[in-house]
Amino acid sequence: MTRPAGGLAALFDNDLVHSFLHSKVTMVAALVTLAIVLAAAFAPWIAPHDPFDLRQLSLLDSHLPPAWAPDGDRRFLLGTDDQGRDVLSAILYGARISLGVGGLSVALAAALGIVLGLVAGYAGGAVDSLIMRAADVQLTFPAILIALLIDGTMRALSGEARNEETAFWVLVLSIGLSSWVQYARTVRGSTLVEKNKDYVLAARLIGLSPTSILFRHVLPNVMGPVLVIATINFGLAIILEATLSFLGVGLPPTQPSLGTLISIGNKFLFAGEWWIAIFPGATLAGLVLAINLLGDWLRDALNPKLR
Amino acid sequence: MTKTLLSVRNLRIEFPTRRGTLVAVDDVSFDIMPGEVLGVVGESGAGKSLTGTAIIGLIEPPGRIGAGEILLNGERIDDLPSERMRRIRGRRIGMVFQDPLTSLNPLYRIGHQLIETILTHTAMDRTAARRRALALLAEVGIPAPDARIDNYPHQFSGGMRQRVVLALALAANPELIIADEPTTALDVSVQAQIIALLKRLCRDHRTAVMLITHDMGVIAETADRVAVMYAGRIVEIGAVRDVVKSPRHPYTIGLMGSIPKPDVDTPRLTQIPGSMPRLTAMPPGCAFHPRCPQAFAPCAARRPNLKPHGNAEVACWLFEPGAETCG
Amino acid sequence: MTADPLVDVKNVGRTFDVSKPWLNRMIEHLPRQFLAAVTGVSFSIAPRETFALVGESGSGKSTVAKLAVGLIPPSAGDVVIAGVSMNDPARRAERRRLRRRIQMVFQDPYASLNPRCRAADIIAEPIRAFGLFQRRAEVAGQAHELLRLVGLDPADGRKYPHEFSGGQRQRVAIARALASQPDFIVCDEPTSALDVSVQAQILNLMRDLQDRLGLTYLFISHNLAVVRHMARQIGVMYLGRLVEMSPTAELFAAPRHPYTRMLLDAVPDLDMTGNPRKPVEGEVPNPIDPPKGCAFHPRCPYANARCRVERPALLAAGPALVACHAVEEARL
Repeated sequence: MTRPAGGLAALFDNDLVHSFLHSKVTMVAALVTLAIVLAAAFAPWIAPHDPFDLRQLSLLDSHLPPAWAPDGDRRFLLGTDDQGRDVLSAILYGARISLGVGGLSVALAAALGIVLGLVAGYAGGAVDSLIMRAADVQLTFPAILIALLIDGTMRALSGEARNEETAFWVLVLSIGLSSWVQYARTVRGSTLVEKNKDYVLAARLIGLSPTSILFRHVLPNVMGPVLVIATINFGLAIILEATLSFLGVGLPPTQPSLGTLISIGNKFLFAGEWWIAIFPGATLAGLVLAINLLGDWLRDALNPKLR
Repeated sequence: MTKTLLSVRNLRIEFPTRRGTLVAVDDVSFDIMPGEVLGVVGESGAGKSLTGTAIIGLIEPPGRIGAGEILLNGERIDDLPSERMRRIRGRRIGMVFQDPLTSLNPLYRIGHQLIETILTHTAMDRTAARRRALALLAEVGIPAPDARIDNYPHQFSGGMRQRVVLALALAANPELIIADEPTTALDVSVQAQIIALLKRLCRDHRTAVMLITHDMGVIAETADRVAVMYAGRIVEIGAVRDVVKSPRHPYTIGLMGSIPKPDVDTPRLTQIPGSMPRLTAMPPGCAFHPRCPQAFAPCAARRPNLKPHGNAEVACWLFEPGAETCG
Repeated sequence: MTADPLVDVKNVGRTFDVSKPWLNRMIEHLPRQFLAAVTGVSFSIAPRETFALVGESGSGKSTVAKLAVGLIPPSAGDVVIAGVSMNDPARRAERRRLRRRIQMVFQDPYASLNPRCRAADIIAEPIRAFGLFQRRAEVAGQAHELLRLVGLDPADGRKYPHEFSGGQRQRVAIARALASQPDFIVCDEPTSALDVSVQAQILNLMRDLQDRLGLTYLFISHNLAVVRHMARQIGVMYLGRLVEMSPTAELFAAPRHPYTRMLLDAVPDLDMTGNPRKPVEGEVPNPIDPPKGCAFHPRCPYANARCRVERPALLAAGPALVACHAVEEARL
């Protein structure tokens, strides 16, 4: 087998990259995700209007249909909502918040779950039982309930006054804390397998501390399934945030996420003003679908048995 | 003149990959007579398990038979539709795998698995099938078969499980059994028991056996003839006594020399330098020539075919008449 | 043996608690269950020698290997290496210094190397952990030297484990074991997972290294033929106890314990003498519930009433030590 010459060529010769390039569905999904992420990241620069700037809004501009409809206005490509906010700009900013909440909560859940899973798997005994029973208890409750519980508690603690700034972080915390269990269980299972493998014994033989062994030897080898779970959970986190916002216990109306926009638009669906709900809804659905497809590909690509 | 039971002609098994087609078994031919035990010995990667899998028609895609024929009693079986192959599998060719733990379904009692196999391949009714299952269990040496027929696989020890697997393979009275490393996962003392059992059963039922293993000792004890495989090819094939006591091919010689023996104290074992070539980097000509202490001019150029030499057949330019002059 | 032994295993035992979890025991009213993996094992190894432990599954030989390197503490007895007890809590500092001199080579070449690390890093880890060399260049140079020592190309240091064959991985594992410049290496079935021609290479390599570096080996195996080639003294284990201990030549010339004879008999006859072999009945019993008296008696053709109730002690019989009533009573 001739090895490719340069380092860059070697990168592209990778089995993972190859399977990626060979699946059109995955490539489209990746492109869609990338497009939405970039658009959301650069929202302040590319959005035609700033939907949060009260000075720019005018009630005269409200309830306008998309630009291609007979009453549409070319300034507002996808129409406006009841307060005169440009739906397109609202989607861009909303996606930003949705992605932000989704990404950070996944990071929190993953970090917490991985650490607890590693400790439970490696330590065993009472520590393992404690962590796993806590996980079991948490699993009996639906994620929404847990998120609501934490959300409500944090609100009560922080008081209404500081609600607006902290809402974002409270949401990240509640969604993150509601989903650590999956990571913990997977990582614990993999840790149980890896800790008996001879290379871990060899590391113990040279006197490395358990922390060292866990993070230098075990962690890199249990990360595979974590990546797949994280990708899929990303989509779920976004939907969870959207649900909470839809229910009115998520973000305040001044920082609308995609879920809030759908919630707002919902009221106007039967009035015939479909664009206020449908466009954010389509964006949300498209984003989550793309992320799920990416997660599917990642799981198949990382599964050694299927290679 | 007895008819050949199994005839493999120019078998070629390949794996298409994105880097090109890899040939795992390259132009392999051999025959098995009824009631004969043919050993197929080789190290990991030699292609022996693949050959067995090809005969029974269970090659996993993307692997496929690229060329050649497999004939059972004169009829081709390599190109059969899956339904007809399914009927041959179990009924006329039985298979014994290495790991008895995974060969038996842990969720079903062994009686159920035995009876199911018997019912699938014979015309017996359930009562008769159960009687036959009990008889089989007794024959393979399971003590108190009436009690144990309703046990689950995990209630047996490793050696007992392998006996049950043998019973399963014999359930439909096949003409040929392909045994892929049947004793490798067992303790040494149990290995001896299973080998003896296999020999006895095949003699009593007049079943032929294709015994695939890396263990030369098992071959020496059990087989009538042996084929030595290296890098997907047969390098030597002949009566067991000839190949084991007077090997001719340099690989076989090296292999026999590297086996430690309990009754001989050698300061250094014979070692063959290097390792078996990977499928992606097969040397030209004779696959063994880069490691061969006796390699000479034609070895790197052309691949040698099996030619008779004495009682065996050897694929080596050293034994080709006039090879040295052709250069 | 005039020199002090490097390794002295004294009456070592190890029991594992294999009881079901507390909750299950409460609900199902089950008693606690213990597995006596190793009981009353004693042997010593002189410097630069190889002692082999032979046995089948359930014999406890792998547990003895882990006890010898200190990976698990013994439930009874002690392991003394270079005069330092491995379990005396008062001598922790000495034990830490001793760690460097004890290493292990494992059976499975596919599980003994971290799949995410390059070979050179795997070998360098003990060097760094024990502080043998500080500067990166020195550590790297030492790793390359070790790769050469085990017959690999220093350029192979950049490869990941999956890029090596089984035999090459085992070489990397041996290089890692040598990295801390040990005196004593425990080899737990190092060639059982390898093809026979590769096994020959590795066994030859290990013997060469022993001669060159003055290593002491504890060699664990189930293969008597391999052990003949490597060891000076052999101990045969059955269900956690030593049943025979003997110099190599003696063990093969005149095996005494019925189990040893059975093991030797079970080795396939490559010389094709055509001698019929009578395989022994039965299998190794469950270690959780061993037979009373002599653990081998259900399978032993020479068992008598005494064997069923009284466990034989390890007694001298010529140059060997044998635990068998039949040998003691000169019935054999």
